[in-house]
Amino acid sequence: MVLAELGGRISRALQQMNNSTVIDEKVLNECLNEITRALLQSDVQFKMVQSMQANIKKIVNLEDLAAGHNKRKIIQQVGVEEGCDGDEEGGVGEVGGGETEEEETSKWIRKGAGKTTTCTKYAYHYQRKGWKPALVCADTFRAGAFDQLKQNATKAKIPFYGSYTETDPAKIGVEGVERFKKEGCDLIIVDTSGRHKQEAALFEEMRQVSESTNPDLVIFVMDGSIGQAAYDQALAFKQSVAVGAVIVTKMDGHAKGGGALSAVSATKSPIIFIGTGEHMDEFEAFETKPFVSRLLGLGDLHGFMDK
Amino acid sequence: FSSVFSSVAGKAALDKSDVEPALKALKERLMTKNVAEEIAEKLCESVSASLLGRKHGSFTRISSTVQVAMEEALTRILTPKRSIDILRDVHAAKEQGRPYVIVFVGVNGVGKSTNLAKVAYWLLQHDASVMLAACDTFRSGAVEQLRTHARRLQVELFERGYEKDPAVVANDAIRAAVRNKTDVVLVDTAGRMQDNEPLMRALSKLINLNGPDLVLFVGEALVGNDAVDQLSKFNQRLADLSTSANPQLIDGILLTKFDTIDDKVGAALSMVYTSGAPIMFVGCGQTYTDLKKLNVKQIVRSLLK
Ligand SMILES: Nc1nc2c(ncn2[C@@H]2O[C@H](COP(=O)(O)OP(=O)(O)OP(=O)(O)O)[C@@H](O)[C@H]2O)c(=O)[nH]1
Ligand SMILES: Nc1nc2c(ncn2[C@@H]2O[C@H](COP(=O)(O)OP(=O)(O)OP(=O)(O)O)[C@@H](O)[C@H]2O)c(=O)[nH]1
Ligand SMILES: [Mg+2]
Ligand SMILES: [Mg+2]
Repeated sequence: MVLAELGGRISRALQQMNNSTVIDEKVLNECLNEITRALLQSDVQFKMVQSMQANIKKIVNLEDLAAGHNKRKIIQQVGVEEGCDGDEEGGVGEVGGGETEEEETSKWIRKGAGKTTTCTKYAYHYQRKGWKPALVCADTFRAGAFDQLKQNATKAKIPFYGSYTETDPAKIGVEGVERFKKEGCDLIIVDTSGRHKQEAALFEEMRQVSESTNPDLVIFVMDGSIGQAAYDQALAFKQSVAVGAVIVTKMDGHAKGGGALSAVSATKSPIIFIGTGEHMDEFEAFETKPFVSRLLGLGDLHGFMDK
Repeated sequence: FSSVFSSVAGKAALDKSDVEPALKALKERLMTKNVAEEIAEKLCESVSASLLGRKHGSFTRISSTVQVAMEEALTRILTPKRSIDILRDVHAAKEQGRPYVIVFVGVNGVGKSTNLAKVAYWLLQHDASVMLAACDTFRSGAVEQLRTHARRLQVELFERGYEKDPAVVANDAIRAAVRNKTDVVLVDTAGRMQDNEPLMRALSKLINLNGPDLVLFVGEALVGNDAVDQLSKFNQRLADLSTSANPQLIDGILLTKFDTIDDKVGAALSMVYTSGAPIMFVGCGQTYTDLKKLNVKQIVRSLLK
């Protein structure tokens, strides 16, 4: 997977530093420059990279390092702490701890990111684990949106709800959720239309759908190839609805997914799954901390992915 | 005496260390505007090369000299080298008694189908008759999506449902357009990742079989460093897989979702720099009228702001 490529570059940079006999400011700077470049080529937000660099320098005070200390270890620790900054707060993880009777999930975010596809993948994932999922199409905007969800749901044999004529997504959302609650579904997933922070009316509509369906979890779906706009978009969503988790799609492509790190930092929510293809089963559970460790070349600490 | 004067005026030739700090700052600025790292780097190298040895007046600051040189370079890159006039070419094809064919290609979810519909609207405004060819025979709902647009725009839709060979569907659509004397055929295709070999092969087949007048690469303004890889691999695969000696590559770019990036306009630069193809349209919203031409001056200004 491509994320590993970035990890590789970073660990090479750290390795190089390790190989030099003395670690002085010059060596540290070279290492940081290489890491910076790797992160920027992966679409991590520029400001984040800059502040990470500054923080590492601040923490690693070379003068204070007693001789004989394992400097490489110190720097790696700093790296992991920095990288994981903000991952802890979300705490939503996977749904289905077994506590709740019913879970409702809404998915938002940018157009064409892969929400509708991801909804079915998500439902299918839990269906195989014994849940009774259902899909609600609250996208009344995009041409063919209901047909898309319907065809996907039919393939996966998952019940679905939607309308060709109703134009109010909040209304459909509520109706669908009510109906599937009555039918005893324990995981109801509401798909919504794509929107961006510049589209104020659509953001308002999103707030309404969220208010009326009152979901247990709001998932932010983002495209793995997004560049420097990732942070701003993610932040705008976080400020409008209670984003609790992130799913990054299209990780089967070439993009290194650094925009995802920016979104994690903006939403303070963990990445719970990644999409790795157009088919229903091309979907993998994801843990943020091992990902960041891997990114920084510390190897596979807890088993990178749970397949 | 004159030599004293010139040293006072500081007319020394610029060397690398003079321009480096200013270029480093510029590179960073370009990257915050979402220019791909590799492109920002290459661009700074070429600007640096163009400045070295140049005389520098003492009354201008080095940073502004560098800025001016960068502005020139950006404008040169973004200004199309070959101009394509679609309406003129549509007319010429009509005179030859055949439809003008545009194929929309790109990775998943970038806005191919939506912007195809906007181009249809634009053509209708210019009195061309249009047919939409539903050649995304893979993604759920793709055919219905196009049917909805065809109905709203009141244009003809050519479709053969799902799981058909898109190359053949496109071919049948073009034949139908010849029979009906439709001026333009707009071919929608499924999104595909640039590394997906079987799907790239299928796309190459569609293009080889039908020889469209224009292959339009649809890319989104939100994309980061992947822009470079998308365009270079699409072109490379189309070249490698072509059966003709003179392979047909990407002719132009349609840049979408331009309304969603504020001033982070860098993807435009990355795409043009990588492919050399002009940006023919910019999608900037969701209605049929949200299709514009690229404003080079404005892009350059945003990049350097
Ligand atoms: N290769 C790949 N394609 C994906 C993945 N997830 C989604 N897609 C594709 O991305 C495109 C857009 O997906 P949709 O699910 O329609 O996106 P959306 O966010 O619902 O789009 P809107 O409703 O228009 O905002 C489709 O062609 C999907 O097949 C993925 O993980 N990998
Ligand atoms: N804001 C904005 N949204 C756009 C623009 N162009 C397309 N979109 C939206 O992007 C989403 C995806 O558009 P599609 O046209 O379905 O994309 P596609 O490339 O055909 O997707 P696939 O066929 O699944 O690969 C839709 O929700 C569109 O409304 C644009 O210029 N601005
Ligand atoms: Mg959708
Ligand atoms: Mg499409």
